[in-house]
Amino acid sequence: MPELLKIGSWAGDLPDGEAPAGIEISPDFREFTEAESVERIVHLAQEVLADPTFPTVRAWRTAGGKAIGCFPVYTPQELVHSFAMMPVAIQGGGENLEISRADAALGSFLCSISKSTLEMALTGLLDPFDGFVFPYICDVSRNLDGIFTRVLPQRPSHMLHLPQNFTSPATIPFLVAEYRSLIEKLERVAGRPFSPEDLRASLEVFNEQRALVDRLVVLKRDAPWKVTLVEYYLLLRLGGLLPREVHIPLLRRAIAELEGRERKNKDAIRVIVLGPFCEQPTLELLQLIEDVGCYVVGDELQMLHRWCPRIEPGTDPLESLATSYVRTPVDIGVRSTPTTKAAAILARVDAAKAQGVLFLTAKFCEPALEDVVLYRRALEGRGLPYLHMEFEEKSTTYEQARLQLETFAESILFE
Amino acid sequence: MSDVVSAPAVSGGVSRSFLRDARGLQRKLVEEYYGAFASVDQPRRPVAYMLVGGNLTEILRSFGYDVVFPEIVALNCAIKHQSLENILHAESLGYGLDVCGYVKNDLGLQDLGGKTSFGQIPRPDLLVCSFSGCYVYVKWWEALAESYGAPLFMFDVPYMREETPRQEDIAYLVSQLWELVHLLEKRTGRAFDMNELKRVLAESRRAEDGWVEFLRAGRLRPSPIEAYFESIFYMFPINVLRGTPGAADFYDVVNEEVRARVRDGNYPLPEEKFRVLVEGVPPYTNYRTFWDFFRKWGAVSVVATYPKVGGLFDRGFRHDPSRPFESIAEYSLGAYVNQSWPLRRKIIADYVKEYQADAVIIHGIKSCRSFTAGQGDLRDWLIHDQGVPTLYIESDHQDPRYFAPAQIKNRMDAFFESLEQRRAVAAAAGAAPG
Repeated sequence: MPELLKIGSWAGDLPDGEAPAGIEISPDFREFTEAESVERIVHLAQEVLADPTFPTVRAWRTAGGKAIGCFPVYTPQELVHSFAMMPVAIQGGGENLEISRADAALGSFLCSISKSTLEMALTGLLDPFDGFVFPYICDVSRNLDGIFTRVLPQRPSHMLHLPQNFTSPATIPFLVAEYRSLIEKLERVAGRPFSPEDLRASLEVFNEQRALVDRLVVLKRDAPWKVTLVEYYLLLRLGGLLPREVHIPLLRRAIAELEGRERKNKDAIRVIVLGPFCEQPTLELLQLIEDVGCYVVGDELQMLHRWCPRIEPGTDPLESLATSYVRTPVDIGVRSTPTTKAAAILARVDAAKAQGVLFLTAKFCEPALEDVVLYRRALEGRGLPYLHMEFEEKSTTYEQARLQLETFAESILFE
Repeated sequence: MSDVVSAPAVSGGVSRSFLRDARGLQRKLVEEYYGAFASVDQPRRPVAYMLVGGNLTEILRSFGYDVVFPEIVALNCAIKHQSLENILHAESLGYGLDVCGYVKNDLGLQDLGGKTSFGQIPRPDLLVCSFSGCYVYVKWWEALAESYGAPLFMFDVPYMREETPRQEDIAYLVSQLWELVHLLEKRTGRAFDMNELKRVLAESRRAEDGWVEFLRAGRLRPSPIEAYFESIFYMFPINVLRGTPGAADFYDVVNEEVRARVRDGNYPLPEEKFRVLVEGVPPYTNYRTFWDFFRKWGAVSVVATYPKVGGLFDRGFRHDPSRPFESIAEYSLGAYVNQSWPLRRKIIADYVKEYQADAVIIHGIKSCRSFTAGQGDLRDWLIHDQGVPTLYIESDHQDPRYFAPAQIKNRMDAFFESLEQRRAVAAAAGAAPG
């Protein structure tokens, strides 16, 4: 496999409470606004991801901003943004973070992302944040909120109950009430009252970001040879780590370059990747999938940008935000299915014209693990090949993964 | 072991004079409950599958449904050492090692035909998912819906982050309850009978009063009840049979027996050396062995959190026939694991004080992230913020492969030994002159 850029490393063995220095980014984010090529953007993104000190958040704070950390998968980022605060996707500590204290607080049988997120809280790495939102996507995310209220009492934390009944007429009013509870905390952190007008403006900013993300997703589906999975992933990942006003023009420039790329369409297997909607696989693992001869033409990566289509602000933007969540039938492991799991996966396979499915699930991720069985049953019924692999944040060797992936790809290629 | 530490207090096994009439009656109720599903004497009633936390059994009963709780079927299998076969079968279907043991035990059993040593588990006509405190409930019921093709009603219960629910929470729940009622009317062809619901709720309330009287006996010194291991036997009527006269009558028998124990000096152990609070789900597959690890040291659980998974009745809640839907809505919020960690910490701190607990034993289980994620932090809080000696141990409630008896015993022995040592040192210091 070609070597990925290896930029910096972070030992994570500093004394308790002492945060490492990390890389520095200009408060005006000029590194990103001036990045001229996809190659440069990808390089910057890798630098940011390799550094668990949240360099983009520190830069934002240097400029006087406040930031709210949002645990996966879905948070109404627009609400945070409407208070002129930056919603930041917290997606674990990555492969460079050593876990020393969180194990004892959480127990043995939990996913890496919960442990690395708590480790960051216990070691001062989340100090740049002013508050946190933990959506009820699973019991671990939900419980993390309660732990955060104890270990970081000076920073508000909020558990957002995302509804699971999508047919009741009372669901939207309930979600509006949920959002109002969140708003009360955001008002205290921001030191200003909620403004429907500001939310209206924020909805438009995120509509613009979502439209671009959708364009990239379509490009990856229809012309996967033009953008690698790692490029695609990093462009999306930056969307949760940068001010959206910085990410939007950056993404626009990147997509224009990618759409104009002249690259040969290889004889690769079209696969969709399901499972990594919360904890993130390493870049090496993502790269390996395409290195062995697959094109990823559908996925569940970085769903925070892809949950809802355009949201019309309407007369009540808060209700519009709630309605968009309730009425958009996203089929994903952390939301009750609008149809059946069998119907859902076959529809996705068809939409992507996929030849196979790769289940890439995080170790101990129960929502993903339980869906796999129902998905597999449906795929077997249609004779579609699949492969199930588990990953953790700190994957170090890939020989076994390479062997599995190569076998999977070859079995489809030569059938 | 130090000289000042005493030898094991009692041998293994529970005295027959301690668990008498109530335990016998509980066994009989369990047998009758499962036996009724096999009856061919009368036409089969419709069956709804439901979950324990936040369950809506009163509404279903008022429409003539039999209610089956797959969690309870699974724990019955586990305590009878029948869970591993089901779990292994579920794993052969593709359910991974890290999937909840309840789910695997149940789905494995269902795929094998639903036959257990205690009865044939009927197929569901309706699946009511009370999503209250456990996200896995959603996944489990989706899998059942796809297996059986039965309709699934999703009853979404907001997570409790404040002690008092918001008005919007209650409105959301009440609306869903009416939607369920309309669904049941459509499926059964019966009109909803509010008076019948009120009658069922009155029976529930009577059972709840009796259950709470039993639980509160743990406040006595010595405690006449075993608030973890014994209470778990008596959870069956309050969770499964609630709303029937039999459930309420059962607790009359239980409380009479407890009163007799106090009168006769018949306690869980000859000497109550340690009063402990137990937090967490028990290892059903090794129930007696685990219990013996406590008994050996004269440790009696005087209060426990797990018996509250079906509702926090001891914190004051009762179903109320005068406010039927509102009180069912409030009930559904009150499952123990539907409480946030700050609320759980407060409950535990209150229990330690009210029940004069000397120590806390936390049993974390691999299967249940809802209960377990954060119990290590709880231990830290109890020790450092509350000054309560606390032990955290891990195994599983369904899968015997994760119960390591030597390791657990070793840790429990060391914990109780240190407690005895601490007492001995304190006593010596108190006796020393000046």
